[in-house]
Order: sequence, then structure tokens, then C-alpha cells
Amino acid sequence: VRSLPRPALVLPLGLLVALAGCGTPSSEASADGVRTVTITMTDDACTAEPSSVPAGATTFAVRNTSAARVTEAEVLQDGRILGEKENLTPGLSGSFTLRLTAGAYVLACPNAATERSAFTVTAAAGSSTGSPAAERDLTKAVTAYQAYLVEQTTTLTASTRTFVAAVKAGQVDRARALYPRTRAPYERIEPVAESFGELDPRIDARENDVDPGTPWTGFHRVEQALWAGGDRATTFTPTQAAQIGPVADQLLADVLDLQQRVRSVTLTPEQIAGGAVGLMDEVARSKISGEEERYSRTDLWDFAANLAGARQALDVLRPALRTDHADLLARIDAQLADVQASLATYRTRAGYQDYTVVTDAERRTLTTQVNALAESLSQVAPLVAAS
Amino acid sequence: VSEPVSRRRFLGGLGVAGAGAGLGSAALAVRASSPAVGSVAASTATSVPTGPAARVDFHGAHQAGIATPAQDRLAFAAFDVTTSDPRELRDLLTDWTRASVAMTRALPVPGDSTSTVAPPADTGEALGLSPAALTVTLGLGPSLFDQRFGLAARRPAALQTLPALPGDALDPTRSSGDLAIQACADDPQVAFHVIRNLARIGSGRVALRWSQLGFGRTSSTTREQVTPRNLMGFKDGTRNLVADDPAAMAQHVWVDAGDQPWMRGGSYLVARRIRMLLEAWDRDPLGHQERVFGRSKSSGAPLTGHTEHDVPDLSAVDAAGQPVIDAQAHIRLAGSEHNGGVALLRRGYSYTDGIDATGLLDAGLFFLSYQRDPAQFITVQRTLGRLDALNEYVEHQGSGVWACPPGLPDDSRTWADHLLG
Repeated sequence: VRSLPRPALVLPLGLLVALAGCGTPSSEASADGVRTVTITMTDDACTAEPSSVPAGATTFAVRNTSAARVTEAEVLQDGRILGEKENLTPGLSGSFTLRLTAGAYVLACPNAATERSAFTVTAAAGSSTGSPAAERDLTKAVTAYQAYLVEQTTTLTASTRTFVAAVKAGQVDRARALYPRTRAPYERIEPVAESFGELDPRIDARENDVDPGTPWTGFHRVEQALWAGGDRATTFTPTQAAQIGPVADQLLADVLDLQQRVRSVTLTPEQIAGGAVGLMDEVARSKISGEEERYSRTDLWDFAANLAGARQALDVLRPALRTDHADLLARIDAQLADVQASLATYRTRAGYQDYTVVTDAERRTLTTQVNALAESLSQVAPLVAAS
Repeated sequence: VSEPVSRRRFLGGLGVAGAGAGLGSAALAVRASSPAVGSVAASTATSVPTGPAARVDFHGAHQAGIATPAQDRLAFAAFDVTTSDPRELRDLLTDWTRASVAMTRALPVPGDSTSTVAPPADTGEALGLSPAALTVTLGLGPSLFDQRFGLAARRPAALQTLPALPGDALDPTRSSGDLAIQACADDPQVAFHVIRNLARIGSGRVALRWSQLGFGRTSSTTREQVTPRNLMGFKDGTRNLVADDPAAMAQHVWVDAGDQPWMRGGSYLVARRIRMLLEAWDRDPLGHQERVFGRSKSSGAPLTGHTEHDVPDLSAVDAAGQPVIDAQAHIRLAGSEHNGGVALLRRGYSYTDGIDATGLLDAGLFFLSYQRDPAQFITVQRTLGRLDALNEYVEHQGSGVWACPPGLPDDSRTWADHLLG
């Protein structure tokens, strides 16, 4: 977490589109080229209006006016969920945005009398969203990044389970060794995690981020407890043990919550690109400053995880950029390599050196490299945006 | 991509100011009698107005920002080139030229600033602001001419890192730099906008090495500008070269037939961050302060005269036979009489950077001077650094020297053309 969250990363764009289309359900593309389909949920079935759209970016505005049994709408292809909106009780609405290529899709509302209906995407006629090949590349990018989110949160749940067990068993040395590894999947997808309002503060707040009166929870609360007695303390005091047990349990619960929520996140390609920039901004602000891991000094592990997450975002977008934007891609790759090479100088057999070894001059070099990379990454979003 | 929009349309009916002087003196920036005037076409630029609406032409025989009447504000930055590819350096200088031309015209930096999914090309804080007499001046440091870009043979012999000078207390993190940008304007936001945007445009090719903001010009560079006071409360630099003296400019400031033809019409810039120990100074009796400078604090007149511009009588003695202007007085030692006729075009600014770690004011003079050879500065500073009574109250913390190439004639040429074209 950081003091200034970057909330505009994930859902707001889709929400804006949904609002813009409110009351005028049609397949007319809005100014930014995104079409809106309104899904109305009833206990009988879900209806999509319109039930067919041309290929391209599409926002599904889901509304539950009165359905008691149905609270979820999904769009599937070949049995795989591409996007969904859950927990819509009567009166609630929500939206998700997908980039769709021509083909047959299924609209599903679990528990409705008729659960599944057909949804058709036709070839884009004179679409401004680029060539079919580029569209396909971007659709694949979105799917691949969604899979990455699922994979990372699954890994995070497993690693947190092991970590929490060690903490609760009072195995301080073991928990310290596990700590930076446990967090890495979180740091790889942090901008997405930050989009869930209170979840990121609960999982990743530092002490000064917490409002007075709000309990401080999450990784850094445990970090403080693990390192509080200095490096040589190998057990918790009874007081510490009593305090940290519930915090550890809550951490696991919050991580599980994140894993669930990530399943229904649908990112647009430009949001994926924005996430890569956000990860490098994280590095520049809270890792290179040495602010993130103030007790464990494992900031370089987080740095590496942020960088890996940015690289993954770039890699899923790479096919869509390869043909027309090879120069930018080459520049970004060179800058990624520079950052990676600098980071590699701090590698140890087990992971990364303690952050205190990084000198002021080295911090400056790292910042220069990270800023150059982030600036180049910031040019990707408009190239993959629906326009 | 939309057409760039002027930051502010000039008011209708504002004519071209000034008249008369020949084209050759256009870049000498003779101050117009009427200050409230907008843009001046390059071909007829015979005057440079000031005030918020003023626009200074980027193009000319010499770079703007040297002979231009000193504006009120400075944003200065030194950069390290981080790429080792000469083509990237060339592209950078081209991009910087285009952006600088646009900014001096109060236009956003080139590129798309309207797409909602892309970061805007221009950072935006100068939108709606007038040109504010903005000038952007480029300097090339000695380190640029090392082996990296194949420029060693193009390095002027005069362009050498300044030698150690008496009284130096230099901080390497406030000194030197492969490239320097001096942005001067009558609006601090317009000046800072330049440094911020050029740094961003240069991302991945250059990195900011250090930067300095300045306020309250400390020099007058034309006869009509009133000599301002420095933070010590004194009028200093009264005897500065004035830019509307073309003969003096040619003699002391503009490079003529140097060893590198590309520098003809250019000049050498020296920057020094001179911290003033203001708490100590403010405890000093008025009589001693005046002896240190050799001037009256209130009138600015030399201690041997009555008005500011009276020529100091360096040989005058008092009834006791002591020199009226002390042997170590600043005006005696800094004057060209004392330095073999050497003169500099001073263009410095005051600065304040809050307080230091001990709680003392961190403030002083960001000294800038232009000269046809850095040796001119070295000569003066060797004298001052050794003898000047002012040394007790100042400390030279930062230093740099740069070759400022000549001006560009029009939009067909860029800063890259001097060396990498």
C-alpha cells in the first residue's frame, strides 16, 4: 500500500462507460469506441440488450431490478468465463468490460430458470478498433493477464497459509525467512489489489497509513512483530503471540477475499498497460526510498516482484505491439534490461540483500533507470486502447 | 492530434514595438521604449519587450537568454546524458529544440495532449499563461566531449572544467553536467515548466543532475534596467557589461574566431552556487558591510562618489592616508581595472532553498556569467577568491562551465545540427 493510492486503475473506466450508456441501451459505440450491452437479471433468465454486437470493446452493464435467486452474470466462450459480475442483489448494478472478437458467446446467470442464453459477436464492419489480428492479440492479452491474476492470487493464498501457520506456531526464524517470498505474488499484482478499496489497506498498510482508531493489520503488522525484537529474537513474547495470532488469521482471510475478487476483474488492455506503469511508480516511490519494508529491509524482494509484474503486463501486450511499435518495444526491453541488471547486483543465493546496503548514489541510479522505464511504459496505453 | 493552442491569444491591436536598429543587432535585445507589446517577428526583431505578455524570439544570431534583458525568474538544470548512442543524443537535442521553440511561443510542447488514455505530451501547468519573455538557453559541458559520442575533436580548447579556485567548497552533486538548460521568464511557473518538460522528454536519454531555481535577477543587462539588490542588500554588478553595447559584447561575450567554427557566435556560461552566510552578514555593522562592498548600502554609490553609476575612484585616500575604497573591497577586486581589462556579462539570480541541517538560511546568489572565454571568469575569481573581503560571508558550493552554441536561424535547424547534424 502507499499513502496515495492509485484508484483509477481497474474498474472506473468500465463504470464510466456504463454510466455513459445508462438509459440508452444500444450497440452504438460511445466516443471512445466502447459499446454498451445492458444485461437485465430476473429469476427467469438474463436478457442482453442488444444480444449481438460488432467485435470490439464492450461494456456489460448488469442490473438486478428484482431477481431474488440470481445475483451473478457471466460471459463465457468455450466454457471459460471471460468476465462476470457477482453479488448483485436486487437494486444493485455493476459492469465489466471485455474486448470481444467475432464468434458465439454464452451469457449465463446461475440459478435462473433458464441459466444460459446465446450472445453473438459479429465481425466489425469498418470498426476503428484496428485490424482483426490486432483485436485478437488484445483479446488474448486480456485473457492471459486475467489468468496471471488468478495464478498469482492462488500462489499468494498458498504462501500466506504457510506463513501464517509459522507465525501462529511462534516459529519466528522460519516466518522471517518466509516473509519476503510470501508477499511477492501480492507485489506482482499490487495495482489490481489496490482497486478493491479497503482490501489493500487491510493487507499491505504501513503503520503510518492507518487512521487512528482503525486497527493496523496485514503483512507489515506481522513484519513489525517478527523483527521487533531485533534479528536475534527467535520467539515471540507471550504478549506478542497473543496479539499477532488474530492478525495472522485476518491476513489469510483478506488474501482469500482478494483471490475471490480477482476472478471477476476484467481489465482493458490500456488498464494492463497502466498497471505496469503503476508498478514502476511503486518501485520509485516506496521501494527505492526504502520505506516499504522498514523492519525487515526486504525492499529489494518487493522491487523484484513489482518489476516481474510489470514485465508480465508488457509480455501479454507484446504481440499487439510487435508489428507497429517495434521501436518502443525495443526501447522498453532495453530499459527493462537495465533495471534488471542493476537489481541483479544485489542478488544472493537465497534472494536479495538487505536494503541497507544500497547507497544513496545507487538509489539515484536505480531511480533514473526506473523512471526512464516507467516513462516509456506510459506510452503503451494509448497504443492498445480501444479508439 | 490536435493543433497546438496558444497559451493565450495575444490581445488584438498590439503592434510591433521598437524600431530602427539593424538586423545585425537584433539579437542584442535592445529594450523597447514601450514595454506592453506582444510577439515580434524574427525578421524585424529589433526590440525585446518585457512584462507578462512579452515574447522573445527563440531564433537569432545568438541564443536568446544571454543578451536578452534579464527576466525576473530563473529555472536552471544540469543534466547527465545517460545514453551512449550518438543518434539518441541527436534526437534528444532535436526534441528539445522543438519543445523549446513551442514553449517560448506559449504553445504546449509538441505531441498529443488530448487523448484520455495517454499521458498528455505537455504537463499543462503553463496552459493559459503568457510567454512571459521566456528564453531557453542550451549549454554543452566539457564532459560531453569525452569518448562517448565521438565529439572529442570538436571540443573547443577553452572548454575545460574550471580549475580549483581559491575558496572553493564545491559539492559534486551541485556541480558540472553534460548539458545545461537555463530557462528565464517573468513568470516562475513558465520557467519551471521548461525544466520539467525537457527532463521528461529526455527520460531514458538524460537524467537531471542538479537544478536551481532563482528569483530577483541580481544583474542589469541593459542600460535601462535598474540595478537590483542582492540578498545582502547591496547593489552589486552596477558596472556589469550591458548587452546593448554591441562593441563590448563583441569584445567580451561572443565567441569570434575560436578553434571550433561551430562556436562562432556562441558564448561560454559559468554558473556558481554562492551560498551567503546571511545570519553572520546581518550581524555586521553597516560601516563594515559598506567597506566590504566599497559602496553605500542605501544609494549604491561607490564610497568615493554620490550616485550609483559614478566611476569609483580607486586611488582616493582619506585624511589618514588610507584608501577610501578598501584594498579588499569587492568593487575594487571585481572591477575590470583590477583584472587586466577583463569583463563578464553577469546574469545571476538570488536563490533560497529553505534552511540547512543546522537551521541556518540556505540562500545566496546563483551566479551566472557569459564570456567569450571561461578564462575571463577564472581571472576574476582567482582575485576574488583569494582577497575579497566578502569571502568571510560567502561559500562557493556549486560550479559548472558550458559552451553555449550560437543561435538557430529558423525552424529548419535544431540544436543537434551544431555537432551531430
